[in-house]
Amino acid sequence: MEVTLFIHAADDAFRILENAKVQAVGLLDTATRLTSETRWMEEKKVQGILKGAQATRSGFQNFFATFVMLLAFWALLSGKFDTFHLSLGVICSLIVAYLSHDLLFANVRVGDGRVIAQRFLFYIPWLLREIVTANFYVAYLALSPRMPIDPQIITFRTKLESDISWVALANSITLTPGTITIDIENREFIVHALDRKVAGDLDTGEMEDRVAHIFMEADHIYIQDVLDVSRVFAALKRGM
Amino acid sequence: MNEFFVAVGLGLCLLVFLVLYRVIFGPGVFNRIAAISAVGTKTLIILLVLGYVYNRVDMFIDISMVYALLNFIGCIAAAKYLEMER
Amino acid sequence: MIASSDDIIIKTIARIFVPFIQLYALYVIMHGHYSPGGGFQGGVILGASMALLLITHGYDEVKRRFPENVVLLMGSVGVLIYAGIGLTCLLLGGNYLDYGQLSVILHVEPAHARSLGILGVELGVGFTVMAIMYSIFFDISTGGILPGDDKLNGELEDNG
Repeated sequence: MEVTLFIHAADDAFRILENAKVQAVGLLDTATRLTSETRWMEEKKVQGILKGAQATRSGFQNFFATFVMLLAFWALLSGKFDTFHLSLGVICSLIVAYLSHDLLFANVRVGDGRVIAQRFLFYIPWLLREIVTANFYVAYLALSPRMPIDPQIITFRTKLESDISWVALANSITLTPGTITIDIENREFIVHALDRKVAGDLDTGEMEDRVAHIFMEADHIYIQDVLDVSRVFAALKRGM
Repeated sequence: MNEFFVAVGLGLCLLVFLVLYRVIFGPGVFNRIAAISAVGTKTLIILLVLGYVYNRVDMFIDISMVYALLNFIGCIAAAKYLEMER
Repeated sequence: MIASSDDIIIKTIARIFVPFIQLYALYVIMHGHYSPGGGFQGGVILGASMALLLITHGYDEVKRRFPENVVLLMGSVGVLIYAGIGLTCLLLGGNYLDYGQLSVILHVEPAHARSLGILGVELGVGFTVMAIMYSIFFDISTGGILPGDDKLNGELEDNG
């Protein structure tokens, strides 16, 4: 008799403890969510201030940057550098730049262009390596007789901010064999993956981090940035 | 070297025929659009290989750029048309 | 009627590509006498760039950027350039589009005058083809009904 009573009591105690634990976990969850939300909002506010401080390009700067890029493109295409053809190129570039100066640099901040171009160039080899490795994996999937594919659609929320970085990420995902970006719907990427391993590679978020690093998204201060700054400081020190 | 490029071109032509199966018999219009896009990409590479065979790469690059461009725009236009039909 | 697309990828890609496509079209027109291409091909590429903008950014944006009457005016100017060069050659005592005769008024050698004359004709053809392609695409995509014609639109909707 006492034994059963004791067992009941122990059971009750355990149940109460369990309930308490569940409640505590729930409370903790809400607390973390609230703090992360407030943090997110704070970050948004700071970003807004930062973005307001960095003036966007004026119309003329846009026009001039577009003109220079188009002229370089023309020189690449034409390959003729006598006065007549160069003047034709200048005229054509002027016309096109006038027609579409607000298309090419729709939301690029002042002074970002060179850094972005440089970082993008360093991003390409990494992307090529990813493509080649994924290529071998997908070839193995396609050629193995059992065809061990497991197609799935995964969604993830991106932390990137601008449309150009979304597009860069989406196209990088599509270029990597095995994954295809289906759509971007208000910051939500919908991606079709051929296999669980491929999807897992995507979930690590390395590609997203790298794209964010290229386009200097405001809430990402990376080790790379710190290293860059430290190099500058070292150069300054040596100068002094 | 020329034989190599000719062989590559012939191999790509064979691949085009493989994809053409999807264009003709592929169930549904989306398969067909994707297959036509793939045929366009193959044709582009064949054009560039031909450029190497004839030693006029600069000329063939111009043509292949136009081909790529029209392939892209045609694909988007077809997709847009289907979206509006729905 | 084509509304602005909500697909951010296509929209951004089109935004970045369109200036380069237009420059490429002008390159094809201008270098028609060295490399493949010429007025017609360049005009088609120009028209294709506008069609791309129309598909992705919608009717209103394209209408703001390239008003239809201006584009049609450009087409007419293209025909005028073509016919003007031809008739100038005729008036200078040659055949129609006999560019060699232009050397008298351009003060250059006949060979150079031929090159310049062909360039002008290519330009005219390119403008005209661009305008007509754009116009055809525009009319097909809107069904010939512009948003201003509310009455017509209403009647069409009533009919089904």
